[in-house]
Amino acid sequence: MSFWDVTRQLADGFGITLLIFGITLAASLPLGLIITFGSMSKIPPIKWITKVFVWIIRGTPLMLQIILIFYGPGLLNWDVKLPRLTAVLIAFVINYSCYFSEIYRGGIESISKGQYEAGQVLGMTKTQIFFKIVLFQVIKRIVPPMGNEIITLVKDTSLARVIAVAELVKAAENIISVKGIIWPLFYVGAFYLLFSALLTFLLNFAEKKMNYYSG
Amino acid sequence: MKKRILSVLVGAVMCLGLCGCGGGESGSNVNGSVDNSGANSASDGGNSAGGDNSAPDNNNGGETDWDYIVNKGKLVVGITYNVPMNYQDDSGELIGFETEFTKAVCEKLGVEPDFQVIEWTKKEFELNAKTIDLVWNGLTVTEERKENMLFSKSYLKNKQATVVKAENAEKYPTTAEMGSITIAVEGGSAGEDVIKNDEALKGCTKVSMEAQKDALLEVKTGQADACIIDFTMAKAATAEGTDFADLKVLENIQNTDEEYAIGARLGDTETIAKINAAIDELAAEGKLLEIAKKYNLDDALLIGA
Repeated sequence: MSFWDVTRQLADGFGITLLIFGITLAASLPLGLIITFGSMSKIPPIKWITKVFVWIIRGTPLMLQIILIFYGPGLLNWDVKLPRLTAVLIAFVINYSCYFSEIYRGGIESISKGQYEAGQVLGMTKTQIFFKIVLFQVIKRIVPPMGNEIITLVKDTSLARVIAVAELVKAAENIISVKGIIWPLFYVGAFYLLFSALLTFLLNFAEKKMNYYSG
Repeated sequence: MKKRILSVLVGAVMCLGLCGCGGGESGSNVNGSVDNSGANSASDGGNSAGGDNSAPDNNNGGETDWDYIVNKGKLVVGITYNVPMNYQDDSGELIGFETEFTKAVCEKLGVEPDFQVIEWTKKEFELNAKTIDLVWNGLTVTEERKENMLFSKSYLKNKQATVVKAENAEKYPTTAEMGSITIAVEGGSAGEDVIKNDEALKGCTKVSMEAQKDALLEVKTGQADACIIDFTMAKAATAEGTDFADLKVLENIQNTDEEYAIGARLGDTETIAKINAAIDELAAEGKLLEIAKKYNLDDALLIGA
């Protein structure tokens, strides 16, 4: 099997990897913020239910969550049949939303009380203070920890293969099974490296852009 | 105010999420035991899953197992890529003995085959969760698997083979010399049963892998001294031109009669009856022999040869 044949087959797997990455990121970023509001809520039941939920999701392996979401309904005889990729996406979005929510919470709580008080003096409402004063400072502060999670997400996508979704690593494993050649498994490392190099560059760029909001 | 409404909404969503999780907690036990099944034997995980679900299958408003498949219009067949059973040719098209056999049977039954790649250690899961309808991929009939699956008639002979590095081939004329070495097998496979049942192998260190190809990789890299996998797979995987060509297949195992068959859900008697009838027809027509010859498996054929 030539280098190009292998690259072409792996590129198919990489497409799935990118799809899981892109959709998870796009959905988890806003959903994480909603969970943050839940865990910072002043109403105790909402606060505690959210916190327990985050604890369960962060406290169990993502691999187990994928298996549970995909096989669970069928094993309980429910009439729901999730496509494999959908099950993976649901598990990833829930999992990453919970991690993001805690990063957001840390960012929000790091903003000094004085900022809120200044807003109140200017006669702004709570919502205005959050979106016009606090949010941008939070975004600036959380870029490094978010960058960590985002780069972890790139590699976590390889967990999708536990329910036989043909992402990048699975694509390489299929080549071993069918052709009996091993090197493609290590070649996938180059795909991950290149993609995380691109992400690192973008994250650094974002960080520089936001130097403006020095706080 | 807006934020308060938002938090109430969030709360509601979280509640739903939690209910889902609460229901799932019992399910996660099942998941846990399947992880064990990968390491020890397929029976633990499969049993609990099979016991819970096989019974209600026939109670869905009088719909039989075969109606369920016909209504779907598709027979979902669980496979893994392995030569010569199910694999992709250079153009990416699925070929192999089992691929063609499946297509021929489905043509007789008037249903469309839908090949679904699965993780082999989760095959009982896939069946019981109805994400596949059949396991049809060089599946060895074992007593343990009979507790979790309903088998069709057997159509191919199978045996287990030891694979070692070529330079070590002389060292292991029988399994008696393999008593204290490290042996890799696929978790829940017939190869694992060989280790369990052969007194001579009591003292060996067993490594359970996710797939047979991983067991080969263990031997190739020297992490294990030998692996025990299906003979047909071993022969094809160590052929010239593969990275495993420096390994050698030994026929040193006292094989009991091992046979390949198709696995279905425990309650699916009607489906299996129909498949058995179709296999008989294909055997009588000589079609089965024709497919077996194409993949050099005609010596191992049990019917229609």
